[in-house]
Amino acid sequence: MSENILVVGGGPAGLNAAVMLSELGVNVALVERDSFLGGNPKKFKYKFLFPDMQPADNVIGELIKKAEAGGGIKVYYSSEISDFKENGKKFDVTLKSADGSEKKTFDSVIVATGFEHFDPARDAKYSYQLFDDVIDIKDLERMMGENNFVRPSNGKPPKKIAFILCVGSRDRHVGNQYCSRVCCTVSVKQAIELREHFPDCEAYIFYMDIRTYGFFEDLYWQAMEEYDVQIVKGRIAEITSGPDNTVICKGEDTLLRGPFEIPFDMVVLASGMEGGPQSPEISSKLGIELDEHGFLKPENITLSPFKSNKPGIFLAGACTGPKAISDSITEGAAAAMNAYTYAVKNR
Amino acid sequence: MALEKQEQRPAAEKGEHIVARHLIEDDSIKEEKNLVIDGVDVSGRWNTFILSRVDSEFDRSFFREIKDTVVGSRINRCWQCGMCTASCTVTPLYRRFNPRAFIYMMQLGNLKELKKYIDVAWRCVGCYKCSQRCPKQVNPAEMMEALGLVIKKYFPEEVHSKLKVDEDVKKIYDDMIIGHGRLDLAKLHTSAMQKTGRTKELLGKIERDAIFKMAKDGRAFSILRLGKPHNWSRSKEAIENYLKNLNTIENGGTGV
Repeated sequence: MSENILVVGGGPAGLNAAVMLSELGVNVALVERDSFLGGNPKKFKYKFLFPDMQPADNVIGELIKKAEAGGGIKVYYSSEISDFKENGKKFDVTLKSADGSEKKTFDSVIVATGFEHFDPARDAKYSYQLFDDVIDIKDLERMMGENNFVRPSNGKPPKKIAFILCVGSRDRHVGNQYCSRVCCTVSVKQAIELREHFPDCEAYIFYMDIRTYGFFEDLYWQAMEEYDVQIVKGRIAEITSGPDNTVICKGEDTLLRGPFEIPFDMVVLASGMEGGPQSPEISSKLGIELDEHGFLKPENITLSPFKSNKPGIFLAGACTGPKAISDSITEGAAAAMNAYTYAVKNR
Repeated sequence: MALEKQEQRPAAEKGEHIVARHLIEDDSIKEEKNLVIDGVDVSGRWNTFILSRVDSEFDRSFFREIKDTVVGSRINRCWQCGMCTASCTVTPLYRRFNPRAFIYMMQLGNLKELKKYIDVAWRCVGCYKCSQRCPKQVNPAEMMEALGLVIKKYFPEEVHSKLKVDEDVKKIYDDMIIGHGRLDLAKLHTSAMQKTGRTKELLGKIERDAIFKMAKDGRAFSILRLGKPHNWSRSKEAIENYLKNLNTIENGGTGV
């Protein structure tokens, strides 16, 4: 008899975990709250992925295809865990969907519930949702995915665009002290895409630090050296409406110690990642620990970042903290290996 | 009667009547000494305006102009780490000479700020330490040349009034370069010492030791053997012709 493993969440991490386990001959139940697989990348129609600008479909689409091909994977769409009980070293779980409930016993569990984009409307200084031309990186990603690069307010191409980094990250004021890791690289990537689409559009990035870590740095250099993206040091304190249907960014140029109020056609907020409401929810349902940032807490952040504090429950992807898609996929595989080992040991 | 009295008053300094005048820079005050609008005399304080002290535009046309020059073509690379200023030979002597800040002002087209540094912007001595150390290969040393071009183009009057060419030094340079095709450092050194009235030091112990050392390792003889570049007379003629034309253009007032 083969093992039964539950994977919660059908994003990059959960998908890869499910696919790897099915290749090992495990029966996988993949629970997804949405009616489709692919998680946030699919939901917000990410088009190209950094650092190599490959189509998101090459990555996410490929994983979805494998997961939906059957094999040992049974996908539960629009479903959730309604009941969760430990049964010795195994787990009795009730899965609830519109079609009804199903009770099953699993040998181990992988939690890959992912993240939520920070909602910039929570930070009033950015005037998100107040002005049409103030959007955030997920909005722009979706717009570019739909091949729509124009200003939301009037449908015209922007002449001057600002990216504001660290929106909802590294900010006690909104309660998130951590760095969301990918927003710098995403912003730089989007600036390149915009400049490629509109060579006449000036692109500025307002930053405190540019954290395009590791080889993502290549993209940042490319943005400056090949696409003339200008970086300006200083965080933006206020966004107001300006003349001629513009939005004004008020800030300080910290390198020259000068205040500025510059009008832009469009402002893109690099909103960060949050644990979302799903993290505390799954934490209380499964009895696993939550960290001080609102993400799930790994047993040992360095030695076993893919293990929860409870034996038999494993973690993968952005549910444990902000992460790039490639890292989530890696963790999916790591969690799969650990969940499989646990299941085999306790057969 | 009262009017007569007023007319006798000495002309007020620009912006003199502004409360807390020290908070406002000269350039931010617009005031016409003599102005009559619709027959009403609004001279002096009656037409005072204070310009916004907040920057309200990034001027990228300026950036593009610099990027199109040979010396400034790498301006887009600079990320303001400060390696150039940290390496600079001049900054420790003139703190207002800050290559990093100048490059940033040029990137954002901040002419208002650049204008404040016309007197020091030319201080680069061309040691190229910055260019050698720059992690992005911006070539800041040559960027300072671009800065010079820009300042000369946009603020010709200020450059003229703030920068006085030392005719003696110019003559020494001209003689050396046109005459020999290269700088003669020993001669420059001697003339600098003479100009600053330190002739005695030329015969002091330090100088004597240096000369002795150079004679010993052979450098003194190589200085004496300094020749002219190959076929120098033709180059010399070309330079002289160029300078002659340059003079005509400058005298013609068209500017170069």
